[in-house]
Amino acid sequence: MGPKKAHRPGGRRRFLATAALAATAAGAGCGRAGSSWRFFSEDEGETLIALCEQIIPADQDPGARQAETAHYIDRQMLLQFQEFGRVYRDGLAQIDRASRAGHQKRFIELSAVEQTALLAIFEREHAAFFRLAVTHTMQGFYGNPRHGGNRDAASWRMLGIPEPPIRGRLKG
Amino acid sequence: MALPRVNVVIVGAGAGGGVAARVLSEAGLRVAVLERGGWMSAADDRKDDLRNQRTTALGHPFGPDDERNPRVLVDINGVERQVRPSGPGYCNNAACVGGGTLSYGAMAWRFHPDDFRMRSVYGRIGGGTLEDWPFGYDELEPYYEQAEWEIGVSGDDSANPFKGARRKPLPMPPLPPTREYEILKPAALRMGLHPFDIPMLRNSVPYQGRGACMRCRWCVGFACEIDAKNGTQNTVIPRALATGNCELRTGCMAREILTNSSGKVTGVAYFDESDRLQQQPADVVVVAGAAIESARLLLNSRHRLFPHGLGNRHDWVGRNLQGHTYTGAVGLFEQVTYDDAGPGAGIAICDFNHGNPGVVGGGVLCNEFIRLPYQFARQIPADVPRWGREHKEFMRRYYRRSITIYGPTQEVPSFECRVQLDPKVRDYWGLPVARLSGRNHPKNVETGTAMAVKAEKWVKEAGAIRTWLIMPNLGLSGGQHQAGTCRMGSDPKTSVVDAWGRVHDFDNLYVMDGSVHVTNGGFNPVLTILALAYRNAAHLAREWRHRT
Amino acid sequence: MRLWWTVAVVMGLGAAAIVGPNLYYRSSAGRGCSRCHEIGEQYRLWKVSSHRSVACETCHRSSLFTNARRVATHALGRVPEQPRLATQDVFEMVERCRNCHQGEFAEWRAGPHRITYREVFLDRKHNAETRLREDCFRCHGMHFEGGLTELVTPIDRKGPWRLLDTRMADRPAIPCLGCHAVHREGVPLVRPAEGRRAISARQETFRPSVALFDRRERKASPLAELPMPVMKEGARLVRISPDHRQALCYQCHAPDVTAQTGTGDDRTPTGVHEGLSCLACHSRHRQTTRASCTTCHPRLSNCGLDVEKMDTTFLKPDSRHNIHTVQCADCHPKGVPAKKKAASRAFSG
Repeated sequence: MGPKKAHRPGGRRRFLATAALAATAAGAGCGRAGSSWRFFSEDEGETLIALCEQIIPADQDPGARQAETAHYIDRQMLLQFQEFGRVYRDGLAQIDRASRAGHQKRFIELSAVEQTALLAIFEREHAAFFRLAVTHTMQGFYGNPRHGGNRDAASWRMLGIPEPPIRGRLKG
Repeated sequence: MALPRVNVVIVGAGAGGGVAARVLSEAGLRVAVLERGGWMSAADDRKDDLRNQRTTALGHPFGPDDERNPRVLVDINGVERQVRPSGPGYCNNAACVGGGTLSYGAMAWRFHPDDFRMRSVYGRIGGGTLEDWPFGYDELEPYYEQAEWEIGVSGDDSANPFKGARRKPLPMPPLPPTREYEILKPAALRMGLHPFDIPMLRNSVPYQGRGACMRCRWCVGFACEIDAKNGTQNTVIPRALATGNCELRTGCMAREILTNSSGKVTGVAYFDESDRLQQQPADVVVVAGAAIESARLLLNSRHRLFPHGLGNRHDWVGRNLQGHTYTGAVGLFEQVTYDDAGPGAGIAICDFNHGNPGVVGGGVLCNEFIRLPYQFARQIPADVPRWGREHKEFMRRYYRRSITIYGPTQEVPSFECRVQLDPKVRDYWGLPVARLSGRNHPKNVETGTAMAVKAEKWVKEAGAIRTWLIMPNLGLSGGQHQAGTCRMGSDPKTSVVDAWGRVHDFDNLYVMDGSVHVTNGGFNPVLTILALAYRNAAHLAREWRHRT
Repeated sequence: MRLWWTVAVVMGLGAAAIVGPNLYYRSSAGRGCSRCHEIGEQYRLWKVSSHRSVACETCHRSSLFTNARRVATHALGRVPEQPRLATQDVFEMVERCRNCHQGEFAEWRAGPHRITYREVFLDRKHNAETRLREDCFRCHGMHFEGGLTELVTPIDRKGPWRLLDTRMADRPAIPCLGCHAVHREGVPLVRPAEGRRAISARQETFRPSVALFDRRERKASPLAELPMPVMKEGARLVRISPDHRQALCYQCHAPDVTAQTGTGDDRTPTGVHEGLSCLACHSRHRQTTRASCTTCHPRLSNCGLDVEKMDTTFLKPDSRHNIHTVQCADCHPKGVPAKKKAASRAFSG
């Protein structure tokens, strides 16, 4: 059996299966009604969006928020990033804790300047998590849109890479 | 129950195994090829920036799969951890028909004549196992030519004075130059260097019934959508199958090489597509699973007479694992250097493969393949922040204005860089997995650094406004260029196979892949693997005729 | 008696499992599905599109069989991230589109883009010259699920070639969904940015539904996001109409990497017709051109030729009058007579 038929992580599948069966039986809504997150809680998701936006902020071109980079990470938490679940939960909680300690506010309530300053310190103290978040944000922003980030190929447009490229057929 | 007997069973349908299948089946031998992967094509990779054989952030399409194929890596601090194929340190190549040749960048280098006599040229290097090959460039030359013409190479190395003599030019002209090429060539000439067009296993014009490269940006790490990249899966393997003498079985994981009570090799036991254990009796067994898996298979094949694995009487199987110490330099430019014309790499110099004062060997320097945006986001100078406004500004400003010169430095192999069987971890089939350990020889870091400096000079001369070096480290080398674990030599005490790839102690067990390389050249090794397989398989066929 | 009750309960549950989905689709109108499947974007777009009154199950078939299959895949945990139309569903979509868009359908049916799988993949002349390759699917059969080896055999230049599934033979290789996305917002017709003299750009506008089905991404790329090329003739930059609709044409009628006119499948007009949009002459669905000549001729030409009878087709690349490249000098090798110069100036803008 080759990689074509490779096993894929099943957590989300099982969730879907249960949810869908329940829904079919009840004829009612399914999933976590109202939540657009798969792995993260609403609060974690908001913090993650703010973190990603700090890593790749909007300027004349869209930033990570508009490119839905956090959505990419959320999706992959149930696929390729399963091993990082705890790291993210803890890391995001620590960001908020640091924010409350310094400003008595949640991270998302800080100004952009305050967020940047906080992360500059946070990066030194929680290097492993922060490096991971940067790597994943870069993937979600500069990687292929099919995985849920880089919405409307925003980063490729910014870099000036035609997508899809115009490339003709060659004879022979 | 045993399957009907064949003359030869080949384990692995990659570069070496593919060529061996073609040579042996056309010589009239009945051949069975066991490949753990399947037939794959561009339909399987869909040009995914994050999921390909080079960038494995979200896995890779051409195998082996992450779930069933762990390895154990012991890092330079002695810390061991289990790694999965898409993770760092695994040294993955691919597992599919064609092996790495389906998705490679396809540079088609002949080794330099001095690459075959490193010990004679550089002497004994402390802590290393530098040695000469049992034969020289001239012996391999006709087979290089055969590989170039049968599998198909484009390019033009006529302007390269640092090479062995060739009887025949390459069968196809080079692809038209890219913008990077146009910038780098005059700079190299101004420096008195000798730039030329990289030989590539890629059609620049229609060749053997398949079309020419359309220059898309997804090349290295991907399968070609127009089948213009030449690997064994679209050349020699179909040819072998067409003889009617060759059967290719996919989804087959070799378990062990079988031996009888007197210690003669009798076939291969493997798990088939449905995980059923099968026995394939054969007169000859050819192992071609690449340096790590080939060594693992020999080590996993134990016998009363060979308790430490076949060919391992003197503890040389799995030793001298080497790849390439890749180094180079990145330059940023005022002008746009990006023209979206794949594969990107096109120009090279061999001025520094040998004769560099104070260091051992050297390597070819080439401009790098197209860097997809995510790859580029990680290749930034030390003083640019890893995140935030400045990083984004850097990306926007320089993505289309950079040139990377990069190259594989030939390595001094080390006895302690090795593949062993892990005592605890087993794969999905219950087989002990490969355990990789050792550290890169310090000489390789010196040579790599010297090459990076050369690369920087070139990119500066080309007009770079900023440059920085891509530096080597002491981590274990291997990667896709993995080699050396079944060293070729005439003394059974210090080598695993003889000059024909035959495992000492056996008259019917061969290794035909990069494992047998004594040293790995200052070049991408695939053409040498192909040429060696042509040579050694032809020899095996000749022997066969004498015997029968 | 107990047996009968068991049978009745099992049948009842079975019926519920099959009818249940239907009720569910009706009641939630896609909202429920979009919570778990990765289709939030498509759902949002469809909700405000001109097709918002077309229920999900009209296109994403809801029959006894498909419902049972869906229940089974959900139960087995083999639910796709993004439900897509299966190859066969795409063909059925063509028929559904036809129900309402009869005029467009008739036009398409009469034009070259109605080409079938048989005509594309079993073309003897083509296959003997050029081996089939995955890249063919970029512009033909883009919805086919699977690789080339799952469609045609053998993959060589000798043949004879045949389709592994003979039902595919007469299926359209460029179906409606190749160039249109149904889940698209339905704002009124949009006028593209246009230059003062761009004849073509004034003639037509485009629907937001126009989108290229990008096989690799398995999604429709909206026309507005498709790139326009920078075309060259030698070192000279060729003037291209600002009509952005051409971005769709250029995806398949594309030049090679050199961006030189006439390379690959490029048809960028140079010569007297330089600057005209593809759609100035090629009607949208039928790609007919003859009738469009009269839009400009003879008003802009004094040659007195019956342009509708000239051998202008690109199928004869050696034609002296190849409409995409014809220049004044092709007919007037000794120079354009003075009295016609004024006209040709007006012509070339």
